[in-house]
Amino acid sequence: MRKEAIGPFQLFAMIVLFELGTALVVPIGLESGHAVWLAILLALPGGIILVLIYGYLYKQFPDLTISGYMRRILGRAAGWPLALLIVPVFLYNGSRNLREAGDLLISASYDKTPVIIINSIMVIAVMYILYMGIEVFARTAEIYFIVVVIMGLICAFVVIAAGLVKLDNLFPVLPGQWLEALQSAYPNILIFPYGELVCFTTILPHFTAKRKVNGVAVAALVLSSLMLGFTHALEMSVLGPDIYSRTTFPMFTTITLVNVANFIQRLDAFVILTLIFGVFFKMSIYCYAAVSITADLFRIKDTHRLVLPVGVVVLLSSFVSAEDYPAHMADGIVFLEKILPIPCAVIPILLYVVHRLRLRFKLYR
Amino acid sequence: MSSRWIRLLAALLAMSTALTGCYNSRELNELAIVSGIGIDLVPGKQEYKVSFQIVNPNSTPTTVSPGSGLPAIIVISATDDTVFGALRKASKRATRQLFFAHAQMVAIGEPLARQGINHVFDIFERSHELRLNSAVLVARDTSAEALLKLLSPIESISTLGIVNKVRNTSNVWGENRTIDVFEIISEIAGVGEITVNGLRIPGDPEEGSKKSSLEQSGFKGGNIMSGLAVLKDGKLIGWMDGSEARGTQWVLNRINETSVNVDVPGSSAKAAVNIFHSRTNVKVKLIEEVPVFHVSIHEEGIVNEAGGFIDFSIKETRDQLEEELKARTIEEVRQAVERAQGMKSDIFNFGNELKRTHPQDWEKVKDRWDSVFAKGKLDLHVESYIRSTGMRTKTYTNPEQ
Repeated sequence: MRKEAIGPFQLFAMIVLFELGTALVVPIGLESGHAVWLAILLALPGGIILVLIYGYLYKQFPDLTISGYMRRILGRAAGWPLALLIVPVFLYNGSRNLREAGDLLISASYDKTPVIIINSIMVIAVMYILYMGIEVFARTAEIYFIVVVIMGLICAFVVIAAGLVKLDNLFPVLPGQWLEALQSAYPNILIFPYGELVCFTTILPHFTAKRKVNGVAVAALVLSSLMLGFTHALEMSVLGPDIYSRTTFPMFTTITLVNVANFIQRLDAFVILTLIFGVFFKMSIYCYAAVSITADLFRIKDTHRLVLPVGVVVLLSSFVSAEDYPAHMADGIVFLEKILPIPCAVIPILLYVVHRLRLRFKLYR
Repeated sequence: MSSRWIRLLAALLAMSTALTGCYNSRELNELAIVSGIGIDLVPGKQEYKVSFQIVNPNSTPTTVSPGSGLPAIIVISATDDTVFGALRKASKRATRQLFFAHAQMVAIGEPLARQGINHVFDIFERSHELRLNSAVLVARDTSAEALLKLLSPIESISTLGIVNKVRNTSNVWGENRTIDVFEIISEIAGVGEITVNGLRIPGDPEEGSKKSSLEQSGFKGGNIMSGLAVLKDGKLIGWMDGSEARGTQWVLNRINETSVNVDVPGSSAKAAVNIFHSRTNVKVKLIEEVPVFHVSIHEEGIVNEAGGFIDFSIKETRDQLEEELKARTIEEVRQAVERAQGMKSDIFNFGNELKRTHPQDWEKVKDRWDSVFAKGKLDLHVESYIRSTGMRTKTYTNPEQ
C-alpha cells in the first residue's frame, strides 16, 4: 500500500482548524475575566515550546507515531502500557467535543431534534473521512480552512460594522488582572487548546517536508492563537464580562446581536457552521490519533477495522459521560486540570528528557 | 469485508439524510408571528399577564392584495407564574403556534415595573428564539396590554411603529435612547441603576384599539414617548422628564442630535440650535471617600432658527450664543445628576466606571455606593461650538429699536 502523504499547507490548515475547533465557540479561561484575550496570547510562548518538543521528537523518529517512539525511548515494558493509557484520553476528549457540539446545536437551533440524531450524523461523517484516509482528510482541511477564514472575516466585519464593540469592556488591564490572566494561561489555556496538538504526533509520520515541520507548526499555532485571541476579545467587548461568563455559547450570543441597518441580521448560521466544521476536524483528528495508536500497539495492519469501534465508543461515551451540560462542564474542569496535561505535556517532556539523556550517555543500542 | 462495511455505511448515511431533514420544520402557515410582547402584573397575585401582539397576515396589505380590511394585529394574553408558562398557555387562545423570532418590542406595565423587573428577562437570555435586541419600554400609567392593543395609522403593525418612533426620536430629539433587552440585562448585572424609555397613551385606550379611531385625520389615539423610567434594584422609583431625561442621555454619551433653545443675546427671543455632534467623556475618581465625577462634553451645533434679530457676522454674537448654549447644557446635566442623586440611583454608570478603572477604590465604597454616589461631586466641563448658521447670516428683521 502506498504511504499517504501530507503537504506543508495541508498540515498548516489542519493545525489551525484543530486549534480553532471548539475553543472558538465555548468560553475559555474564565478565571481571567475580561483579560481572556490576553491570557490566550500569554499562553502562546508555552504552546510554541510544546510544539517544538513534538517537532523534535518527530525529527528524531520520522516514521513512528508517539506510541512507537515511546517504546523506543522508554523501553517496551514501560512504553507500551503508557501508550495504551493515552488512547482512552483521546477517545474521551473526542467524545467531549461531540457532546459539546450536540448540546450547543440543540440549545441554539435544533430544539426538537433528538441529540442522538445530531451526534450520530457527526460521528458517521467522522468515520467516513477516516475510512477515506488521512490524505483525503488533509485535502478537506485545506478547503475548509479557506471557508472558515472567510466566514470568520465576515462575522468579525459585521460585528464591528454593527457598532457593538465596546472597548471599555477590554481595557484597562490592571496589574492584578495581568496576574490572573497569567494564572489562567498556565496551565489551563496552555493545555486546552495548545497542548492538544499532541494528537498531531500521529499524523506527522505522513508529513512529506520533514525539515519544514517546525516552521509550519509554529506559524499555524501563532495564526490560530491570534484568531482565537481576536475572536474572544471581540466576544468579550460585545458581551461584557458578566454575560460572557454566563453564556454557554458566547459566539452565538454575539452574532444574534448583530443588526446592520436593519438588513444584515440573524447570521446565526455562520456560527453554527463554524461550530460544526471545528468540531468535525477536532473530533476526526482525535479519532485518527486513537485509531493509529491502537493499530500501532496491537500491530493491526488494516486500520479501517478500528474506525467503526472508535466511532461507536466516541458516540456512546458522548451520551453516558455526563448527565447534563453543567455536569459535563464540571467534569471538563477536572479533566483539563488533572488528566489532559499528562499526554499533552508530561509525557512529551518526559520523552524529550529521557531521549536526550540516553543520547548523551549513549544508552541506545 | 471492507466493501461490506462501506456499503453499510453508505446505507446509514442515506437513511440519516432521508430521516432527519425535517425534524425542526415549522411551516409559515402554521405560525403566528408575534410582533410585540407585553408583560403585566396580575393585581393582587404574583402572576404575570403576558400579552402578545400577533400579525394578522390576511389583513396586511401587500402589492398583490389590498388586505381584508380587518386590523393588522390581534392581541391575546395569558396569565401564569412564569413568562414561559404564559407563552405556552397562550396556545389555549391562539389558533397557531406563536413564533417569537420577530418580536420587536417588550413592554412592561407600570405596576409590574414598580414591583420589580429584575427577573423578567431571564427567558430572553435562555431562549434561542426570543431576541436580545428587542426594544424595552415601560407603559407609563397604563398596562402593557393596552399599549399593544392600540392601532396606529401609518404603520399597520403598531409595535414596528413604536420601535421606529423610539429610534427616530432618539436620533433627533435626544430625550430617549434605544434600550434593548441586552442593555437591560448588562445593566442589571453591572453596578448601578437602569433607565428605561416610557411610553404613555394620551387618549382613551379603549377608543384607540378600535378601528374607527383611525378613520379621522385628527388622530387622537396612538402613544407618545414620555420620559425615562428610573429603576432602582429593578423597581421603578421615578420618572425623568424633559430636560432631566436629556441631561441623563448627555452624561451617558447617547445624544446623537438634539435641539436646544437658547436666549438670543440682548433680546427676549429664542434661537434654536441643532446639536449635530456631541461627545461625552466620563472619569470617576474617589477622593477621600467622596467620588468626583469628571464629565466633559464636547458639542457642536448649527443655528437653525433665530426668533429675533441676530447678526451672526459679528464674532462676539456667536461667542455669546456659544456661551448661552453651554449654560443651557450645563443646566440640563446638573438637573439630571441632582435628580438622580436625590433618588440615590446611579443611572449614569459612574459605579461601573470606578470599578473598571480603580478597582481598589471601588472595593472601599461598593457596599454603600448608593449613599456615596448621592454625596458625589460633579465636575462638569462643556465645550460648545456653533459651526454654522444655516443658509443666512443676518435675520430678515431689523434690530429692535
